[in-house]
Amino acid sequence: MINQQPPRFNAHLLQGQARIPIEAQYASRFSLLIRFFNGFPSDQGAEFNKIVFQQNGDKVEMGPCQYIVEPHHQNFQGRLVFKQAVYDLNSLFFKNKIDKLQTEFSNLPLILAHKTKIKKEFKEFIANLTYDLNVYKNIFDTLDARYADEPELIKQKVQQAVIETEGRKFMRFMDQKLEEFERTIINYSKKEHERHGYYLRKQLWHFLMCSPFMARTNLKPRGYSGDSVMMKMLYDNQYEGHSTFAKLMHKHPNEHPAAQAVRNRRKLVAKMLGELKFGRQKASGRKIRVLSVACGPAFELQDVLTSAHDCTGIQFTLLDQDKSALSEAASLIAMIEKKFNTKIEVEFLNESVRTMLTTPKLDKMWGQFDYIYSMGLFDYLTPPVARAVIEKLYQILNKGGEMVVGNFHISNASRYYMEYWLDWVLYYRTEQEFIDLLKNVPTAESRVLFEDTGSQMFLHVTKSES
Amino acid sequence: MKKSIEFKIKPDWDEIEKVRNESAEFLQSHELSDDTIHSLSMIISELIENGIKYGNFKVVANKVAVVINIDHNTVTIEVFNPVDESAFSHLSRLDRTIQWIRGYQDPFEAYVERIKEVSKKPLQDTESGIGLVRIAYEGKALLDFFVNDNNMLNVSVVSNLEGNDRK
Ligand SMILES: Nc1ncnc2c1ncn2[C@@H]1O[C@H](COP(=O)(O)OP(=O)(O)OP(=O)(O)O)[C@@H](O)[C@H]1O
Ligand SMILES: C[S@@+](CC[C@H](N)C(=O)[O-])C[C@H]1O[C@@H](n2cnc3c(N)ncnc32)[C@H](O)[C@@H]1O
Ligand SMILES: [Mg+2]
Repeated sequence: MINQQPPRFNAHLLQGQARIPIEAQYASRFSLLIRFFNGFPSDQGAEFNKIVFQQNGDKVEMGPCQYIVEPHHQNFQGRLVFKQAVYDLNSLFFKNKIDKLQTEFSNLPLILAHKTKIKKEFKEFIANLTYDLNVYKNIFDTLDARYADEPELIKQKVQQAVIETEGRKFMRFMDQKLEEFERTIINYSKKEHERHGYYLRKQLWHFLMCSPFMARTNLKPRGYSGDSVMMKMLYDNQYEGHSTFAKLMHKHPNEHPAAQAVRNRRKLVAKMLGELKFGRQKASGRKIRVLSVACGPAFELQDVLTSAHDCTGIQFTLLDQDKSALSEAASLIAMIEKKFNTKIEVEFLNESVRTMLTTPKLDKMWGQFDYIYSMGLFDYLTPPVARAVIEKLYQILNKGGEMVVGNFHISNASRYYMEYWLDWVLYYRTEQEFIDLLKNVPTAESRVLFEDTGSQMFLHVTKSES
Repeated sequence: MKKSIEFKIKPDWDEIEKVRNESAEFLQSHELSDDTIHSLSMIISELIENGIKYGNFKVVANKVAVVINIDHNTVTIEVFNPVDESAFSHLSRLDRTIQWIRGYQDPFEAYVERIKEVSKKPLQDTESGIGLVRIAYEGKALLDFFVNDNNMLNVSVVSNLEGNDRK
């Protein structure tokens, strides 16, 4: 859009009964450059009822508008800005839609009304929490200001001291508040959870936006939860943010059980891959084929590939719907290759598991695998889809091959923290529901294991040799 | 009491009403409340409409299939329709839309966003694109989909019944 030639066209302005021909050009999102054809003497601030022109065969009328003289412009005499309805010219010229700034208000009554049906005890809880968070934030901000002029290193050390003392106390305050929060909402229905979650986020929005992690999970810039940037934050588990308060609000959810469970599963996957590597490599002369489904940034590979020797025995296939995640995985692999001065055999598949099943004869194109793992994917698949995907993966597993699939357990202690504060909803399963996904896979040997926090389980399947 | 019911219909708008009526009877036999039956019927119509709109019916024998299943407290509605290459851009849109809707804890957010989008008047195309959002918001249901090897699309909703969903 930006590189495109700005649209330039003939139009006319209406002023009372007068119809004034002009040439106009897109100048910015909210203004047009204009030139009067007949030397029309227009003064600074002159007002027009509307501008009328053709856009892709449709007649467009927008106004009222006002003229601003630009004496130094080469080709045009000035600009036109809108006086009441503020039309978005990016939307008009590049998306072919008539949109105005005020459209944001179109749902106002609906949104304002959404706070009815919020329970009294919940409102009270939020009011108290908002007060407390403001108090904490003010104090931490005041401290930040007091050492703001110190040299960088000193600033860091002072902030670290504050975090390790009062900061940790704030983290415990958050824990207590979350316990109180869970007691308040525990018996809500699904609809009530949804509504109260919306209310919580609206009320605490500014606090949530301080935290780089919570801001990202709420805003979802890539259109879905659990993107590779969120994953990196989870794995790093650092104090990130522009202020002490922000750093604490970032770190708190990253220390919660579900976040720990994600770090635990990375170790678990690395361990399983490590064991597999040695067990199988001896038995067969060929490379072991490993598929990671919804690989994300594939951070676990740096835990598995710790020497040049590790890099030789496995052929990796990494599948994800998100190109950015795949290119991050590719950079990680390049880094490992460089570190050990070796080559890693890897293939990237940019596919969605929801549509990959169309690929005729998936096994012919991708081949069979000895080990398939999928972490952080089944939490988003409802039973009909999860079943279809697991059956498909089973089909492309070699005889004697293994498959491990992760899914958060219904008892995830971070569930409501994630849903209300992070706007991060998962499809939770019980062990039985997880195992039932294999209902149509009669030959499977399967078991379910948990990582240490008990929040997340893993379905481990071995394909029989016969 | 039957746990599930199936329909196979021609890609014809008039067929939707028939499926609605018969499935409402089936849902009634499970003693669901009128409100619940009403929202499930809305879901069934929206999904069949999409199946007819975006499916591949160049082969005359191609049909839209509907399977409704009630198991304990879960209602699952699956609508199948064949697709061909021409639907691939729709499928990736479907994928994005479903992930976007399900990215909100409260489907109300998707609903107001969508309404806002719709109120920006497009100069040409007239698609409203509100069907799936309605399913999530008014129908209290989780949407998902996949396509199998035979190019058969399966769009499904899963809805968990709570106390007041039954009579
Ligand atoms: N059965 C389907 N097959 C292929 N694509 C589909 C199917 N259902 C939905 N889609 C895709 O998802 C988009 C969103 O569907 P949705 O039902 O919300 O809107 P719509 O059908 O375009 O408009 P409306 O339902 O408001 O008439 C569709 O525009 C289409 O691209
Ligand atoms: C929570 S992350 C997990 C990443 C990685 N497995 C890990 O454990 O660090 C989820 C990943 O799944 C991918 N994903 C989600 N839905 C998908 C789909 N339908 N098909 C393929 N990938 C998908 C996302 O793009 C994202 O990279
Ligand atoms: Mg539709």
